[in-house]
Amino acid sequence: MREGEDDPVITRHRDLEKIANAALRAGRVAMESGANVRAVHDVCAAVARGLGAEDVGLRSGYASLSITVSAGENTITRMSSVGRLGVNQRLDTEVRRLAGRVGGGGFVPASVHGEIDRLLRETPRHPSWLVAVATGTACAAFGRLLGIDWAAFLPVLVAGALGQELRHRLLSAGVNVFVVVGIIAFVAATLGGIGARTVGSSTVAMAMMASILLLVPGVPATNAQTDIMDGFPTVGSARAVWVIMVMVFASAGIWLALALMGVTL
Amino acid sequence: MTIDLAPLAAPALHVLHQAFFGAVAACGFGVLFNFGPRCLAWATGFGAVALAIRTLGLDARWSLEAASFAAAVATGSLALVFRRRLGAATETIALAGCIPMIPGAFFGQALLGFFALTSPDAVGVEATVFQSIQALLRVIFTLGAIGAGLAIPVHLVRPGRL
Repeated sequence: MREGEDDPVITRHRDLEKIANAALRAGRVAMESGANVRAVHDVCAAVARGLGAEDVGLRSGYASLSITVSAGENTITRMSSVGRLGVNQRLDTEVRRLAGRVGGGGFVPASVHGEIDRLLRETPRHPSWLVAVATGTACAAFGRLLGIDWAAFLPVLVAGALGQELRHRLLSAGVNVFVVVGIIAFVAATLGGIGARTVGSSTVAMAMMASILLLVPGVPATNAQTDIMDGFPTVGSARAVWVIMVMVFASAGIWLALALMGVTL
Repeated sequence: MTIDLAPLAAPALHVLHQAFFGAVAACGFGVLFNFGPRCLAWATGFGAVALAIRTLGLDARWSLEAASFAAAVATGSLALVFRRRLGAATETIALAGCIPMIPGAFFGQALLGFFALTSPDAVGVEATVFQSIQALLRVIFTLGAIGAGLAIPVHLVRPGRL
């Protein structure tokens, strides 16, 4: 028998560590799926309490989550890194549902990990071609809202779709997200501009702008505000800076495309 | 007595046009955000509602910020009305409906204007500064209006979160 194995304090700490790790993992998945901080904290707290923690304290950074769980006189703190923040609504919803179920009792840490593994494996995703077509269509619709003419509609749709597919491939290859934004802005704006000019559109500049609207970080921008309103200004500010950086790189990309095409806004 | 509806036709068509493309944009971004079919349908509907209300506001000579705020409040409130059906995704679906109102093009215009100011042969500097700052302020205020419009109903009602 190893030293301390029969010590009830150490045993309880090991239990608390398993609870903390399960809660952190659920929170991490929620955060990486686009949940705001309040929702992430709700998920972590529900899982930790459902697994037996009596008191839960949480701290969120842009790229990390920390949790302190207590039971009786025993307390431990654990931290987890958080990966790239994206938006995956179905996974986000499923993790929140899981947290609600775990909060109702009847789970152990291992079964929570098993459920999270299952969700990561089985939560459906749209095929990349469908995402590309839908994103291109959204860009073209956005373009109509901004005032592009009908001639530019199809070129914007195609440019947006190709831009999304290229973004998917570059991100999958591990390229830095801001570099990807700059590349996509240049490529999509150039394709949209060439297409719009070829078909005789009178709104070439706006078509180029509409072609890169897939890059507008709408969810992070509103999450930034929500987080600050909910009392998490650190993460909210970090999200806002991230949004500004994305727009700076997107603007640099379209600026190059406009210069190449000889178009002014 | 006959009522001449012709003067109303053009504004109504404009509202329908904006609502339709708001719905299409919200649906497209919903696919990008991996919404399921049911949530996609709701997001599409909310996109139409949001753009219709914003367009009506703009047609009534409201500012973009005020019209966006009214649209976001209405969309957020409507989502809360159906929160039992929408479940944990209530706020996300309402947000997706408002995504077509995000003023990304204004942000681009503002930054491109600032880029232009730094070129060695910048011309029309005063007008460029004015237009860039105006675009940037519109982005900030409109984003704030959308975020606040979505958040206020939630904070008033406080639905079950999980």
